[in-house]
Amino acid sequence: MSDNEMSKIQELFDNLKSDKYPLDEYQSVGKRGVRRIDGYEKATGAAKYTMDVQLPGMLHLRFLTSPYPHAEIKSLDTSKAEALPGVRAVLRYDDPELPAGADLGGHETSDVPVLPKVAYFQGEEVGAAVAADSEEIAEEALTLIDVEWEERPFVLDPEEAMQPGAPLSNPEALPDGNISNQGQGIDIEEHGDVEKGFAEADKIVEFKFKQGYNTWIGPERPCGVFRWNGDYPEVWVKHQRPHICKRAVASWFGGIPMNKIQVHCLYQGASFGGWSQMGWNLGGHYCSAVIAKRTGRPVKWMFNRREDFYGGEMDTGVYYFKVGAKLDGTITAVKGRAVVVNQAMPVFGFVKHFAENTKIPNIYGKTEAVWVNKGPTTATRCEQNSNCYCLNEVFTHVADALGLDPVELALKNDGAEGHDIAWLNEQKAKLGFKVRDSLKECVEKGKKAIGWDKKWHLPGTNKLPNGKRHGLGFVWTHEWDDSGGTSEIAIRLERTDGTATILGCRSDIGVNAETAYCQVAADELGMRIEDVNYKAQIDAGFFAMTPDTSTNMSVNGFAVRNAARLLKRQILEAATSPRGVTQLGSAPAAFPGKKPEELDIKDSVIYEKANPSNRKTLAELAKMAGAQGPISSPKGEPFRTGQPYLNYTYTQPLFAHSWQVQMGTYADVRLRFCRQAHFMEVEVDEETGEVEVKKVVTVNDVGRVINWEGCEGQQYGGAFMGIGRGRSEEVVHDPQTGVMLNGNLLNYKIPTMLDIGSIDTILVETGMGYGPYGLVGIGEDVATVTPTLIGLAVHNAIGKWVDDFPTTPDRVLKALGKA
Amino acid sequence: MEPEKKVPVVEEEVSFSVNGGLYQVRVQSNWTLQYVLHDELGLTGTKEFCNEGACGACAVIMDGRPILSCMALAIECDGQTIETIEGITGAKHPLIEAYVNHSCMQCGYCTPGFVVTAKALLDKNPSPTEEEVKEALVGNLCRCGTYPQHVKAVLAAANNLQRGQRV
Repeated sequence: MSDNEMSKIQELFDNLKSDKYPLDEYQSVGKRGVRRIDGYEKATGAAKYTMDVQLPGMLHLRFLTSPYPHAEIKSLDTSKAEALPGVRAVLRYDDPELPAGADLGGHETSDVPVLPKVAYFQGEEVGAAVAADSEEIAEEALTLIDVEWEERPFVLDPEEAMQPGAPLSNPEALPDGNISNQGQGIDIEEHGDVEKGFAEADKIVEFKFKQGYNTWIGPERPCGVFRWNGDYPEVWVKHQRPHICKRAVASWFGGIPMNKIQVHCLYQGASFGGWSQMGWNLGGHYCSAVIAKRTGRPVKWMFNRREDFYGGEMDTGVYYFKVGAKLDGTITAVKGRAVVVNQAMPVFGFVKHFAENTKIPNIYGKTEAVWVNKGPTTATRCEQNSNCYCLNEVFTHVADALGLDPVELALKNDGAEGHDIAWLNEQKAKLGFKVRDSLKECVEKGKKAIGWDKKWHLPGTNKLPNGKRHGLGFVWTHEWDDSGGTSEIAIRLERTDGTATILGCRSDIGVNAETAYCQVAADELGMRIEDVNYKAQIDAGFFAMTPDTSTNMSVNGFAVRNAARLLKRQILEAATSPRGVTQLGSAPAAFPGKKPEELDIKDSVIYEKANPSNRKTLAELAKMAGAQGPISSPKGEPFRTGQPYLNYTYTQPLFAHSWQVQMGTYADVRLRFCRQAHFMEVEVDEETGEVEVKKVVTVNDVGRVINWEGCEGQQYGGAFMGIGRGRSEEVVHDPQTGVMLNGNLLNYKIPTMLDIGSIDTILVETGMGYGPYGLVGIGEDVATVTPTLIGLAVHNAIGKWVDDFPTTPDRVLKALGKA
Repeated sequence: MEPEKKVPVVEEEVSFSVNGGLYQVRVQSNWTLQYVLHDELGLTGTKEFCNEGACGACAVIMDGRPILSCMALAIECDGQTIETIEGITGAKHPLIEAYVNHSCMQCGYCTPGFVVTAKALLDKNPSPTEEEVKEALVGNLCRCGTYPQHVKAVLAAANNLQRGQRV
C-alpha cells in the first residue's frame, strides 16, 4: 500500500470531527424492518450460551464461599469432600501449583490470588474449589469441607467505615483505614472557583442523597468452560471481553503462546458490565484450567444464582451538594462530595456531566472511595450513573428552590466546559457538523409526547380525582460513546455463492449491533442485507470492540466500513481482470475491457454504470471458485504463462482487513454535541407509598440511526431496567451478621411487564455524533439516566424529597412523615 | 450455617412424551425437569435463570398448561406429555416468526420461555386481548426489558393463527 493510500485510509479513521464520507444513498442503513441476524436462533431456543456447553467427560466446578462478611481461613480439611464418590478434584488455596497472584481479568491486567484465604464479604469465593461429575455432587462436597474460620470485625456502612476506629474492612490491602489505597481513594475534579460562584449566587441550595447497592443480574449465571487439547487451551467465556480473557490465559502457567489459545464467546446471557469488569472474573477459569490438566477432563465452573448478586453498580454511595444559582436559573457553582462504595475500577468522578454539558463555570467534586464488607462495585450500565443522578438531582433541586420548570433550567444552562450553547454551536461548525440544538430538539419532542406543558405543575400541587398525587419527572444529559477502544474487522467474500462474512470476535450481549454492522457492510459493498452475515463468536484473531461503553457502532462501525470499502475495491478490480480459478482452468474478466471505476455494485449485482444491463451477480463472479482454488483478484502472479491450458493468474481470495482506534472522550478529547432527555409521569398513593409509573418518554439524539429496532430496544429496555433500579432494586445486608438477605429474584425485584404503563421511544438524528455517518452510541444511556427519573417525579408529586434511592414505598412514606 | 438434613437420593425410570417423542429416562429424585430436558435430553432451549420459580425462563407446556420446569421434579413427570420450545419450533408455530419480526429478543436467554408461555396462552385463548397477553406473560422476567415487543408479537401471531396463516 502506498503512503498516499495509507493516509487516505487513516483519514477514514478520524473520529475527532464530523464524518466526511457518508454514502450518497442508503439501502438498509436507517431503514425499518431489517431482520435481526440472531432473531430466529433466539426465538427458537437454538441459540447456545456458555451455560449450555456440554463436553464429553465434563466436570462441574463450584467454589467454597464465606459464611461471614470478614473472615480468614485458619485451616481447611478437605478429606471428606475428596472421598465423596463423584468428586474428581479439590483445589485448595495452599495448593503448590497456585501462584500468589495471577492476571484474572478486569479492565487492565491484574495480580490477584486465584483462591484467596481471606474473605472480605459474605459469599466471597475463597479457600477451595471442587470439581465433580455433577453440580450437585460438587455442592454436596462443599458442605463436607471442614473450615476453621477466624471471624474478623466488619463494617457495612460507608460513612461509619470512615470514622476513626471503625473496623478495617480489608487490613491486608488497607491497613491504615478504609479509604481506597494507591492514590486512588480520593479523586478531586475542579473547574473555576466555586466560592466565587457562591458569592455571585442569589440562592444557595444544599442537599444530600443516597444510592442503594443495586446490581446487574445477568440471566445466564457467571460461568465458563476450560479444556486442554494437548497443550492447546480451549476456553468458553461468558464475558464481555473475550480478548482480555485470551490475554489473561496467555499469561498463566509460565506463559502460553496466544496462537495456541482458542476462545469461544457464545451468545451472552447479558451482564451489563458487571462481573466482566472485575479483576477476579477469570478465577474460575484458572481453577478449571488446573483441574482440567490434572484430571484430563474439561471443566465447567459456575456461580449459582445467589452468587451473581455479590457485586454492585459503582454509583452506590452518599452524595452531598451545595449549589449556587441566580434567580433566573443560571447556575453559578456546584460543589459536591461523594462517599462511594467498593469501587473496583479506578475511582470515577461524579461531576463530569456538569463540565461536559453545562455552562456552569465553577465546579468542584471530591470523591472519597471507601471499602466496606460487601462485594465489589463496578461499571454496571454504567459508570456514568452517579453523574446522571447528580446532574439531575442538582438541576431539579435548583428548579424547585427557584420555582422554575426544570426543563427550562436545563435549556438555560446547556453548554459545555463553562461555555454557553452559542460557544458550543461554534465548535460544532468548526468540526464540520451541521449546527443543531440537540437538547432543544429532544425536549420539544419529549414534552409533546408526555404532555408537559399541559400537565407540569409545581411540586406537590396536583391531587388527582382518584386520590393519588400526580407527578412529572424530567432528566437529561449528553449521549455518549466513551472509552478508548480498538477494533479489528475483516470481511471475506465467500467462495461459491459470493455472500459476505464479517469476522471479528466480540461479545454479543444482544443489543443487535451485529445486524447493524451487516447493514453498514451491505450498504458500503452494495450488497443485499441478507447476503451479509456476522459471526461474532468466531475467534479468528481479530478482536472487535466489546459492548462496553456504548462504543459498538462508533468504533466497530468504522472498522466495518473501512474493511467494506477496501473489499469493494478488490471486488471491482477482480471483476475487470482475468481470473485464475483452479490449476485446471481460468476465466476471462467478468467485465472485459472495463475499468473498476466504470462499475458499481447494487443489490449484490455488479453492473456497468453506463450500461446497467451489463451485469453479473456477485454469486456469478464467485462461483468459478472450482474445487480447491480461490476466487480471483488481480494481484496474483502469472503462473506458467505461455502454455495454452495453463494461461491463468494465480490469485488471492477476496478478503479485506481493517481496523479502528478510538481515543475515548473522558480526557477532554471530544466535546459532546448530542443530548438525551427522558420524561416520566407517576401517580403516588400517599397511603401506601406505592408509585405507579404511568408513562415514560425516552428521547435520544443518536446522531444517525443505523438500526431502528436496535436503538428502540435500548430505549424501552433501558427504561425498564432504569425504573427497576430507581424504584425497587436494592441488595440488602443484615446489619448484625453482614449476610446478604435478598440474593434471589423473589426478593430482589427486577421489573416485570406491568411495571411501566406505556413507553414512547423517540429518536432524534442531528448527525452530530463522531461515529460513521454522524452516529453516537446509545446502549448504556437510557438505563443509566432514567433511574433518577422516579425520585424526581415522586418529588413533583408529593412536594417532598425522598433522599434515598431506590424510591421504595417505605421511603416515600418516610418522606411524607408517615413512617 | 448447618447443611440441611440430607434426604437420600433414589433413582427411578420415568417415561414421558416430549414434543411427540417418547423418552425413557433414569432420573434421580432430586433432578428437576429443567435439568433433565436441558442436560440429559439436550433440549437446551429450556433455560435456567432464577432457579426458583420466579422468572419463567424454563417454561414448558405439560398437559396443556405452562409450568415452570425448574420447580417440577422429573421423577414426578412419569406419563406426562411435555412440549418445549423445540417442539413449538418444529411445528412452525406463527409465534416464532412474529417474535423475529418484532425483534422481541435482546440477549435472548429468556426468549424461549416467553414463546412457550405465549403458546400455552394461544392454545387456550386464540384471540387474546392486549391485557390478557400481559396477564399471561407477567411472570416472565426479561432483564433486557424487551417487554413491549412481546405483546405486539403475540397479538400478531394470534392474528395469523386466526387467519390460518403459517408464515
